[in-house]
Amino acid sequence: MNGGSDRPHMGAAKGSGSGSIALNGCDHGLSERKINGTLNDPSAMENAGEESHRTRRLALSGMMFALALVLSIVENSIPLPLPVPGVKLGLSNIAVMYAMFFLSKGQAYSIAVLKGLFVLVTRGLIAGILSLTGGILSLTVMLIVMVVFRDRASYTAVSISGAIAHNTGQFIAVSFIYTGMYLWAYLPVLLVSGVVAGIATAVLLRVIIPAFERLRL
Amino acid sequence: MKLFRKTDILIITVIIVAAAAIWYFYSSAVSGRPVRAEIYYWSDLVGTVELVPGQERTIPVPQDENVVLQVDADGSIRFIQSDCPDKICVRTGRLYLAGQSAACLPNGIIVKIVPADGWRAGDPDIVIGSSGE
Repeated sequence: MNGGSDRPHMGAAKGSGSGSIALNGCDHGLSERKINGTLNDPSAMENAGEESHRTRRLALSGMMFALALVLSIVENSIPLPLPVPGVKLGLSNIAVMYAMFFLSKGQAYSIAVLKGLFVLVTRGLIAGILSLTGGILSLTVMLIVMVVFRDRASYTAVSISGAIAHNTGQFIAVSFIYTGMYLWAYLPVLLVSGVVAGIATAVLLRVIIPAFERLRL
Repeated sequence: MKLFRKTDILIITVIIVAAAAIWYFYSSAVSGRPVRAEIYYWSDLVGTVELVPGQERTIPVPQDENVVLQVDADGSIRFIQSDCPDKICVRTGRLYLAGQSAACLPNGIIVKIVPADGWRAGDPDIVIGSSGE
């Protein structure tokens, strides 16, 4: 993405803000920032803070999008020995979920949409539509679950609901594009594969979170 | 947020049990019914095959010469050949229960199994995106 050209702004904002020593490279600049979303040092000039905030969001969204693409490539190159063809773990949802939990709704949606557009460009119209419908429905359902249940929800529960919603969205899209499909024959597959994929992505997300925290994004 | 809560076990159990129950009721409702296969090309019905046990035979799809279906001796139908990249349609395998379907999405071909005498009033009847069945 545009990360390269934006880096100097980050360094500048950092240096002028807290007065700490500007380290070489963007990773170090980023590493000084807090994880919890409070980005601007109170002493920082507002413009610089605003600019660095936007730059940081852009860079992070780009990174998450890149992560989503890498995860789907990894997933496609490792065939799963599943009895049901076409069922995938949906590892790239890890990136969307990370964005949803730790960045913002908008960033999560933009990653889901960008991923859909990438599929559209690389694998064609139908695959793109399926990716978009599944991804957007999945994210919407996960956000609803999080709003409704708040702290009573777990990563696993949110992830499972998202995975089932993803499957359902794709099923509905296929039904409308091609021909009516008989739901009862497929509902068990949608549910069980949603549970398996949901658990897998939740566990992997949990494994990945400490790595992100070490990056101090 | 926690990775896992005790209530998740309950949620997962309910989902799995529901899936098993749906599968059980669905398959017992439709098994043993005489069926036919409907072949769709981008939502248009382009062929119908009565699925009766007997001679094994191949069914070409006129709209796409790279896709070939086969009815096996036991009266099931499957994709045996397709030029699509991931071969999901071929790996779907044999279809023989009313309600099952196999899809070759890149080529726009879907095979759908329907009861030979049509769906009855008492059947579980959720068909999504259907146009006039």
